[in-house]
Amino acid sequence: MLHKRFILRQLTRSGNQAAVFVLCVTLSILTIVAVNGFSESINRSLLRDARALHSGDIILHAHYPFSPALLDAVADLEAEGDARSLRIYDFYSVVRSPEGEKTLLVDLKVVGPEYPFYGRVELASGRTFRSVLAPGTAIVEQALLDRLGLALGDRLHVGEAVLTVTDVVTREPDRPVNFLSFGPRVIIDIADLEKLDLLQRGSRVGYYLMLKLPERTNLERTAEKLRSAAVAGQERVETYRTARSRIKRFFDNFLFFLALIAIFTLLLSGIGIRSALTALLKEKERTIAVIKAVGGTGPFVVGHYLAVVAVLGLIGTALGLILGFGLQYSLPLFFGNLLPENLHLVISWRAVLEGLVLGILVVALFAFIPLHHLREIKPSAVFRKESAENRRSAPFYLAALIIFLFFVGMVLWQLKDMKIGSYFVLGIVGLIVLTGLATQGILFGVRRLPIRSLALRQALRGLFRPGNATRAVIITLSAALAVVFSIYLVEENLDAAFVRSYPADAPNLFFIDIQPDQVDAFSDTLGMTPRYYPVIRSRLVSVNGERIDREQERKRRGDNLARPFNLTYRDYLLEDEAMRVGDSLFREDLEGLQVSVLDTVVEMKPMAIGDRIRFNIQGVPVEAAVSSIRTRTKESIKPFFYFVFPEDSMLRKAPQSIFTAVRVDRDEIGAVQNRIITRFPNVTAVDVTQTIAAFADIVHRFSLVIRFFTIFSIIAGVLIIISSVLATRFARIQEAVYFKILGAKGRFVLTVFALENLAIGLISALLALVISQAGSWIISARVFDIAYRPNPAASLLMVLATVLLVIGVGLSASVSILKQRPVIFLREQTEE
Amino acid sequence: MHVLEARHLTKTYRIGEREISILEDISFGVPAGEFLVVEGASGSGKTTLLTLLSGLDRPTAGSVWIGETDITDLKEDELAPFRNETLGFVFQSFHLVPSLNALENVMLPAELRGDPRAPEKAEALMKRVGLADRRFNFPHQLSGGEKQRVALCRALVNEPEILFADEPTGNLDSENSDAILDLLLALRKEHGATLVMVTHSPDIAAAADRTVTLRDGRIVGERRHAA
Repeated sequence: MLHKRFILRQLTRSGNQAAVFVLCVTLSILTIVAVNGFSESINRSLLRDARALHSGDIILHAHYPFSPALLDAVADLEAEGDARSLRIYDFYSVVRSPEGEKTLLVDLKVVGPEYPFYGRVELASGRTFRSVLAPGTAIVEQALLDRLGLALGDRLHVGEAVLTVTDVVTREPDRPVNFLSFGPRVIIDIADLEKLDLLQRGSRVGYYLMLKLPERTNLERTAEKLRSAAVAGQERVETYRTARSRIKRFFDNFLFFLALIAIFTLLLSGIGIRSALTALLKEKERTIAVIKAVGGTGPFVVGHYLAVVAVLGLIGTALGLILGFGLQYSLPLFFGNLLPENLHLVISWRAVLEGLVLGILVVALFAFIPLHHLREIKPSAVFRKESAENRRSAPFYLAALIIFLFFVGMVLWQLKDMKIGSYFVLGIVGLIVLTGLATQGILFGVRRLPIRSLALRQALRGLFRPGNATRAVIITLSAALAVVFSIYLVEENLDAAFVRSYPADAPNLFFIDIQPDQVDAFSDTLGMTPRYYPVIRSRLVSVNGERIDREQERKRRGDNLARPFNLTYRDYLLEDEAMRVGDSLFREDLEGLQVSVLDTVVEMKPMAIGDRIRFNIQGVPVEAAVSSIRTRTKESIKPFFYFVFPEDSMLRKAPQSIFTAVRVDRDEIGAVQNRIITRFPNVTAVDVTQTIAAFADIVHRFSLVIRFFTIFSIIAGVLIIISSVLATRFARIQEAVYFKILGAKGRFVLTVFALENLAIGLISALLALVISQAGSWIISARVFDIAYRPNPAASLLMVLATVLLVIGVGLSASVSILKQRPVIFLREQTEE
Repeated sequence: MHVLEARHLTKTYRIGEREISILEDISFGVPAGEFLVVEGASGSGKTTLLTLLSGLDRPTAGSVWIGETDITDLKEDELAPFRNETLGFVFQSFHLVPSLNALENVMLPAELRGDPRAPEKAEALMKRVGLADRRFNFPHQLSGGEKQRVALCRALVNEPEILFADEPTGNLDSENSDAILDLLLALRKEHGATLVMVTHSPDIAAAADRTVTLRDGRIVGERRHAA
């Protein structure tokens, strides 16, 4: 039987500690609720607008011209009135201004007359898309006009054609403007496609056929019929319900990272929950001892405080839900026009229920140990002023194990990826263990420091005050700061290495889709003979007879075997390649066609010498035996190939294009591009420095969002500081009063408390600095192979900001302690 | 010449609408070197009087003079160094800083004063009270008697003019009580300090030079004892 009045009394008189506990619970679920809610809203919007996002009911997609069989099947459907179709070609090309002095890489979209079947293309003029787009015209993005210095009505050279710019596109139904694109959009009518003369054999083009079905037509059955006609592994047939758009793929990946941060915050808030609750219950120890002394049983005490914790936990959960959904609504501010059109943010019952269950679980798990400790409070504690030390017993270790399993479960639930989930768990556990051990070591040393200054000595002694959560504060703050600062440092280093100063030896101009018969003329025009790489587009069919499971492969977060691969042929290793298995690229003891594979492929699917890989090279099946495994000696902006065939193999006869990469003086890039594009309109020239700058901008925007989310984990650390000050309030008042009685001025007491917080802030910041510098250095050197810049100015700023934050929070929480009059404290002590 | 003088001291507290009088118009003087005991029943206002005399609290009316200084006129930050240099305290509940060891507790007032000889002075006092081998122990590692000896050393380390003691033996058994009292009196003599002690122990009162008796916040009696 619960005594409601008792519970209410405990709730209303728990004061600041209860508030900190509630805030920790709030914080633990806030980011997860926000990320999950946002994720669900995106998915719902994408599903609701799926037809518009794909411009059709059924989407056929290939990187080669469609096979006659599939085109026949589509024609049959159209003949029977079961579908209408429209074609779209999507590829990058370089366009020129009328006088040819300026060139620009653009994202070309050539569309059939009925485009779009669903959704609306919005134009700056407000006119309808179809009334504007006519043969001989181009609709472009504003960025193109700005960069080429053109205006509406001006002419634009696209391939061999000269088109008139008639309008500016502000929104497309199947792609938000600016969405991860390396060049502005240019939309052209399909009637001009041949005039452009840009589609050569082996060019990198996205071929699309959109089908619109009459109402009540069985979507899946029609799609299945088309699938049976499509070339397996080369032509994809998907419905608007199943296709993962680029937007969806992007958000899946991005929200995945936010989920990682959310779990990290949850874990650190958990430490806060435990810390705050321990402090809260410590304050109640004497009350509990009195209750037990007057006959209250252990179950009575635990039961009632469980109810108190449950009520506070529910308040925290409710707050977490409200703020989480609030945060979800503020997320679009960060993303701007990258979000899908008509995104409706929703609060679903599922999300509310998930948040509620999560809140209850988090409170139950992290509150278990402090509540369990209540059983150990003896009635005799009424006679003691200091509380007994918490001993670590079997239930402590059991709870720690359950918390760990819960954490692993959360990771798998949120990330839905066993491999990355395991890495994440290992990484976070490693980070916390590392910060824990380092903290222990530093505190061990600090305790033994011979210090002459009284204020500093007393401040450092304060770190070991019983009940002080010094270790929890340092671990939480340093782990959170290490993550935030590492993200910043890596981004800064990438920016410095690739954007601000492009690597001196890296090629900066890539030429794609050179035709084999253009090579000599190309070298003449370029004024040098670079290394040419033949490129043959293909797909992987099977390895040792085992078919590549495309559905499964596409679910991989990183690279996958379902995508098209560029094959090449040569008999030598590149400068940045080395043999990993085998002595040479090809062997004499293998029969038939051979292929040398890059170790990246072997990481996706284990392979050994002699294994047989089956390729589909534009409809022609080709099987080759693995002759060697290569590795890259450094990650650089140089061309590399996963599959290399012998020079004299049958691949020479396959449809192919040529690729080359050259280093040109920065000032000459424009002129070289112009020369090439004017003579070879089919060739795409990519200014890599510009592309990387565009990419860096996108990375920067998302890095900001990730850092914003990580700040919540720092708030967990701040809450633990407040809880720690509140938990040691009595000891702090005691110290402050004794100092004052013995003749210390108020400033001295303030200095002692400030120095104590300075020590906590400084240890946390320096620990975070060492971990983030080491981590970022490893990532920069090993993963990106770039020179590392430690960024001392930002490091100093981070340390300063952390120290100021900790001192500010610590002293604010101590204001009432500093104001305490000695006589009142002495009287209370004497009365007892 | 009085080293300490209370002039018409009054202390009242307001609890809600109610005003409670603790001390009413208390006046007396303490000559240098005297051992004065303030006695009285619980609630008579003894401890409040001690806190007013030592500048730990301010009177509602009246003043406290220590030498030529009216300490009721001093601001909090002026009073603190004055206390440090002129006064010493011994409390019933010891009030040692838990995070400092015994030696550091003794050194504390001297260090606050900026005395470079704080360690030597503290070591000498600890040796004098027989705690040299316990100097690195923390308060929770000491017995009640040992804690009070440390508190005694701390009170004397700055060689104060006046020593205030509030029931210094109240938390000790009789054996330790006697030992502490003997030590307190001996050290007082050695340092030539004036001692003002609050107690309701008749044995201690008998050892004093003079006894002032309080009842309901007023002085109701004063006795001089033969030397």
